[in-house]
Amino acid sequence: MSLTRALELATERGYEIVSSAHTPFKTVNAARETFKAFLFECKAAGFKMLADLTGVDYLEFTTFMPERFAVIYNLLEPVTGERLLVRVFVPDGEKVPSVTDLWGTADWHERETYDLFGLEFEGHPDLRKILTPEDLDGHPLRKDFPLGETPTLFRDGRFIDPATFRAGLMGKDPGMTGYRGGARIDSSLVPKLPTEANNESRGLGGPK
Amino acid sequence: MTQPSSKPKKPKATPPVKLETRAEVVIPQERSSLIGGSGLLHTETMSLNVGPQHPSTHGVLRVVVDMEGENVKKVVPHIGYLHTGFEKTMENRTYAQNFTFAPRMDYLHGLGYELAYALPVEQLTEAVVPERAMHIRILMVELNRISSHLVFLGTGMLDLGALTPFFYTFREREAILDLLEMVGGQRLHQSYFRVGGVDRDLPDGFEAACKTFLDGFDAKVDEYQNLFQGNPIFLERTKNIGVLTQEMALDLGTTGPNLRASGIKLDHRKTTPYAGYDQYDFDVPVGANGDCFDRFVVRVQEMRESAKICRQALTKLKPGPIQDPNRKISLPPRSELETSMEAVIHHFKLVTEGYHPAKGEAYVPTESARGELGCYIVSDGGSMPYRIHFRSPSFVNLQVLSRIGIGGLFADLITVIASLDPVMGDVDR
Repeated sequence: MSLTRALELATERGYEIVSSAHTPFKTVNAARETFKAFLFECKAAGFKMLADLTGVDYLEFTTFMPERFAVIYNLLEPVTGERLLVRVFVPDGEKVPSVTDLWGTADWHERETYDLFGLEFEGHPDLRKILTPEDLDGHPLRKDFPLGETPTLFRDGRFIDPATFRAGLMGKDPGMTGYRGGARIDSSLVPKLPTEANNESRGLGGPK
Repeated sequence: MTQPSSKPKKPKATPPVKLETRAEVVIPQERSSLIGGSGLLHTETMSLNVGPQHPSTHGVLRVVVDMEGENVKKVVPHIGYLHTGFEKTMENRTYAQNFTFAPRMDYLHGLGYELAYALPVEQLTEAVVPERAMHIRILMVELNRISSHLVFLGTGMLDLGALTPFFYTFREREAILDLLEMVGGQRLHQSYFRVGGVDRDLPDGFEAACKTFLDGFDAKVDEYQNLFQGNPIFLERTKNIGVLTQEMALDLGTTGPNLRASGIKLDHRKTTPYAGYDQYDFDVPVGANGDCFDRFVVRVQEMRESAKICRQALTKLKPGPIQDPNRKISLPPRSELETSMEAVIHHFKLVTEGYHPAKGEAYVPTESARGELGCYIVSDGGSMPYRIHFRSPSFVNLQVLSRIGIGGLFADLITVIASLDPVMGDVDR
């Protein structure tokens, strides 16, 4: 009931309605300028709950998508369980109007999307990071965010470059296990491994 | 035996209360002049930092509380201490590998997460779950739901100062975990479900052990109810505390037992049945007031309903296959590998590359022990999900805290946190 009404409203506005063979739920591709008015009408039509709000980064997607990012609004009708997905495409660097005034639950969802994707929501009362630590730069769920393997300089001067570290573990280059080998970038700072040649000069030599 | 003590005990001298000193420290000069310069009345708003390491926060939740005296004026939850980047990790693993990650988010209802992850992948791969696997799944999920509610009840009562129920509920929880261990091999993170079925069949003797447990379980639930429902201290601490109205619950997206305690009968097992729940007969318990007491009672009643579902599942179990026979999705049995070259090829392809679900998007809402749990998957046709997102119920439910935790005493805030039943692994993911 609410779903048919919402789909009528979407057709009136000229939005594209995507239905898939796999999932019973319909997706409406809404325009970024007018989608908030559409969501307001959906709420009036019975979709009283915003079940979920999340982002997608289509940077490496195999099919062409109109913009890089998309925000997915997951609307739920609490009595019948009807559901409608609304997708809004967002170009990189552009802002999206916040829906916190329609549903209070959007508060944390938008903060999460801002934190993990870097999408800014205009009109959000308190747009801060929510999940990642304060000192983390970047937005981890963007497809161009590197996956782990961060080169790390420890306090005791130990530097680990993951790629060379792994190569050392696999025996490709035994001197590159990261700790005392040649894995550091500035090799002049690296204390040399005790070899037979410099053992005597440093007084560390054992019996030969 | 009265042995006169050699030295009469001196009563311990209690140090005199230094009220003046304390007042001097905390009250600024201009403030004390406002109240007549006595300097004794303490009217400052105090910020109290609860957690992240505190037993009553059920994990690593940090709550900054502004208090006037003992009255809570403002509550700001800070989360993210357990953020592990599961979504990013899962986007870089194959679909089969991701079954290891799913139960590790909500470690109390892990099989619910496995089911929530399996269902959208099954939609995309068009896998068919055999009847026996379907009932095994429901049986396991419901057993796990009972164990999750038992942890809620035990630790929740512990937060209220009642130590005994904790031992009672953990006794039954151990019995359930033993059952789950028989099947999945581990106590908490089973990784037992697969796309198109379950990993292996139920072991010998499981059904009898499960039946024995379920037969005695309703009496145990009566025992729990006797422990708290008539207890005047418990009633005093939970009745009309932390009332969540229907409007607020809908506005804040609350789902699960927290929403049903407010009187809205939304259970995805009933409204949008998934994974075969439409074949089962059970009731959805609903509360009336939406206070902490109702949230306790609804969960205890849900345990009875879950036990009912488990009993039905045991009668529905008939011998049969437990995996989709499609060799493009499920691994061939070990015995075939010795005789069939085709099986070896399938095995190799599935282990090294994995299966490729169709291009598209899928979302299946399920009812976890905490509320609506859904996995939103965007597939680009590859063997790894392009985008995977978990709508985790605890994350959404915890937003309620800053609205209903205020206005009462500080001890009531602890009650409210316990009654919302957040699992921090589920919140931070």
